[in-house]
Amino acid sequence: MKIIETRELKKTYTLGKVEVNALNGVNALVEEGEFVAIMGPSGSGKSTFLNMVGMLDVPTSGEIYLNGTEITKMEEHARVEYRLRNIGFVFQFFNLFMELTAIENVMFPMMLSGHPFYKERAEELLESVGLKSRINHLPSELSGGEQQRVTIARALANQPKLLLTDEPTANLDTKATHEIMELFRRLNEEKHQTIIMVTHNPELGAKTDRIIHFRDGKVVK
Amino acid sequence: MKLSELKAALFYARRDIVKNKKVFIFITAAIIFATANIIIVNGFMDGIANDLVSNSIETSIGHLNIYPGEDDRFIEGVGFKEKKLSSMDEVVAFSSRLYASGTLSFRDKATAVNIIALDATNEKRVTNLLEKLDRGNTLEANDRDILISFRLAEDMGADAGDDVQVVFENGASQTYRIKGITHTGSYELDVNTVFMAKAEANSRLGFDDKASIILVKLTDKDIAGEKKQVMMDELGVFKVKTWWEEVEHIVKSAGAWSEFSNIVSAVGLVASAISVGVVIHINVVHKRRQIGIMKAIGASNSFIFTVFIFEAGLFGIIGVVGGDLLGYYGTRYFETHPFWEPITRTWFRARFYPYLLYNASIVSFGITILAGIYPAIKARRINIIKAIWG
Ligand SMILES: Nc1ncnc2c1ncn2[C@@H]1O[C@H](COP(=O)(O)OP(=O)(O)OP(=O)(O)O)[C@@H](O)[C@H]1O
Ligand SMILES: [Mg+2]
Repeated sequence: MKIIETRELKKTYTLGKVEVNALNGVNALVEEGEFVAIMGPSGSGKSTFLNMVGMLDVPTSGEIYLNGTEITKMEEHARVEYRLRNIGFVFQFFNLFMELTAIENVMFPMMLSGHPFYKERAEELLESVGLKSRINHLPSELSGGEQQRVTIARALANQPKLLLTDEPTANLDTKATHEIMELFRRLNEEKHQTIIMVTHNPELGAKTDRIIHFRDGKVVK
Repeated sequence: MKLSELKAALFYARRDIVKNKKVFIFITAAIIFATANIIIVNGFMDGIANDLVSNSIETSIGHLNIYPGEDDRFIEGVGFKEKKLSSMDEVVAFSSRLYASGTLSFRDKATAVNIIALDATNEKRVTNLLEKLDRGNTLEANDRDILISFRLAEDMGADAGDDVQVVFENGASQTYRIKGITHTGSYELDVNTVFMAKAEANSRLGFDDKASIILVKLTDKDIAGEKKQVMMDELGVFKVKTWWEEVEHIVKSAGAWSEFSNIVSAVGLVASAISVGVVIHINVVHKRRQIGIMKAIGASNSFIFTVFIFEAGLFGIIGVVGGDLLGYYGTRYFETHPFWEPITRTWFRARFYPYLLYNASIVSFGITILAGIYPAIKARRINIIKAIWG
C-alpha cells in the first residue's frame, strides 16, 4: 500500500527578484513499511521534499497523497493534528527541549495528543532505544548519539505512520552513527515502521531498502 | 484547545520559567513588592482618611450641624432653638458653639487667634473635644479659665498655669489663666485656637442668644439624612449639614490622594511587568528553534501562544500570592506600628480592608499577563521552516 505519493510536486522560493526552484516536479512513491533513503547533491531539494511530505510547508504546485489523502489543501489546524498523530521528525541536531528531561521530552507529544498512559509509554520507548538508565537526564547531560535516540523515541511517541529524518547522524561519530542506523533498521524490521531518511552517506544509504536520488529538484531514475 | 494541550502548556511553561532560578526569583520578588506596595500604600491612605473622619466626628461635628443662614454671621434665637431640640425625641444632646476672633498676648508676643466658646457640659455630651488634652486640665461648666491649642502654646511659649491677655474682636480685653493645652488631631482646631466658656465670651462680646454652629447628636447617626429636613422645618433654619456632608471633603481628598499614590504604585508595577515581558521575550528569542520543533511535532500556534501566556500567568500568580501575603502582613503591621507624622503631629496608621487585596491582585495579575502578550504573539508567529533551518 502506498503511504506517500507525490505528483509534479514543485516548490519555488523567491529571494528578492531571484526565483529558486527547490523542487521541480517531483514524482515519488513510498510503500508502507519501506525504509527509504533520499540522496543527492547539496541543494538538490532533499530537505524541501521532506518538509512538504511532513506538512511543515506547502508546495507551490502539485499534489501529495499521504495514505491516499491529498494533503496540500488541508487547513492549518488539520495539518497540525495530522502531524501530531501521523508524522515523526528527527532533525540533524538540537532536536530536544533543553529544559525537559529525556522522559519528559518523550512524554510531550503524548501530552499534546492526550495519550492516557504517556509516562509508561515514554519509559518503554526510552527503554527500547537503550536509554532506560538515562530517563531523568537533561539533554545537556547526554551525548549526541543519546540525544538523537531520545529524539527518535519522541518521534515514535504517537505511533506515527511515517518517520521522517533529515541527516540524523551528520553530527555523530561512527559508533553513534552505527547505533542509530541499527535502531532504524530494527524499527523497520520489527515494527514495520516506514522511514524516510535524507543522507549524504552512501554507506548508510546502502543499508536501506531503496534509494531515491534527487538532482536539481527532481527525482533521477 | 483541548484540556490535554492546556495541561501540556502549563507543564512546559512551569519548566521554562524556573530554568533560570535567579532571574525567576528576582522577577517574582519585583512583582511581590510592587503588589504589596499597592496594598500597603492604599492601606495607609484608607487608614489616614478613616482616622481623620472619625477624629472629625469625635471632636468637631455632630450628627447634624446647624449653621447660620447664607447672609448671617450667627444663628439667632439660640435659646428657643435649644428648647425645641430638647423636646425632640431623636435628639440626644446638642452643643451651641460661638466662633469669634481676637488676639492673644503673652509677655512680648501677640498673635491672632480663633476663639471657640462653648458650654462645657453640653459639648461633652456631643463631642470629646474637651478630652483631647495634651496637658493641664480641661474646661468645666462656668470656668473662667481657658484652653489653648498646642500650636498656639508653642508659638507663644505659654503653658498651662500662665496668664495671658485676650483682646476680643470688639476691643474688650481680659486676662485669663491657661488651664490646659489641647491637641485634637484636627488641623483647624490645633492652629491658633482659644477655648472658653460661652457665658464668658458672651459677656465680653456683648452677645446674647447667638451661636455660630449648633452640633446635634442623634440617637443614631444613620438617621441624620432623614432628620435633616425635619430639623430645618422645626427650627426654622436654612442650613443644616449631616455628619456625612461634613466629612465628605476629607473622603474626597483622601480619594484624590489614593489615586495619586496608585499612579505611583502602578509605575512600579509596570516596571516589574516589563521585566516579566522582557524575560519571556528572551525565552522566545532563545528558543526559536525549539518552538519550531514543537510546531513540527504537532503543537498548534495557539498552544505556543498559551505556553508563553501561562509563563506570564505563573509569574503573576506567584507574584500576586506573595504580594498579597506581604501586603496583608505589612498593612497589619502598620496598623499596630503607626508612623509619627511631625507636621500634623498625628499618627499615620494603616488600615487593612479585604478589598485592598482584591484590587491589587487583579491589577497586578492583569498587568503581568498583558506583559506576556507581545512575546506570546511573537512566539506563535514563528515560522517552522525558518526556525528549524534558519
Ligand atoms: N527557505 C528558503 N528560502 C529560499 N531558498 C531556499 C529555502 N530553502 C531552501 N532553499 C533553496 O532550495 C534549494 C533546495 O534546498 P534544500 O535545502 O532542499 O536542499 P538539500 O538537498 O536539502 O541540500 P543539503 O544537502 O545541503 O541539505 C537550495 O538551492 C536552497 O538554497
Ligand atoms: Mg538538507
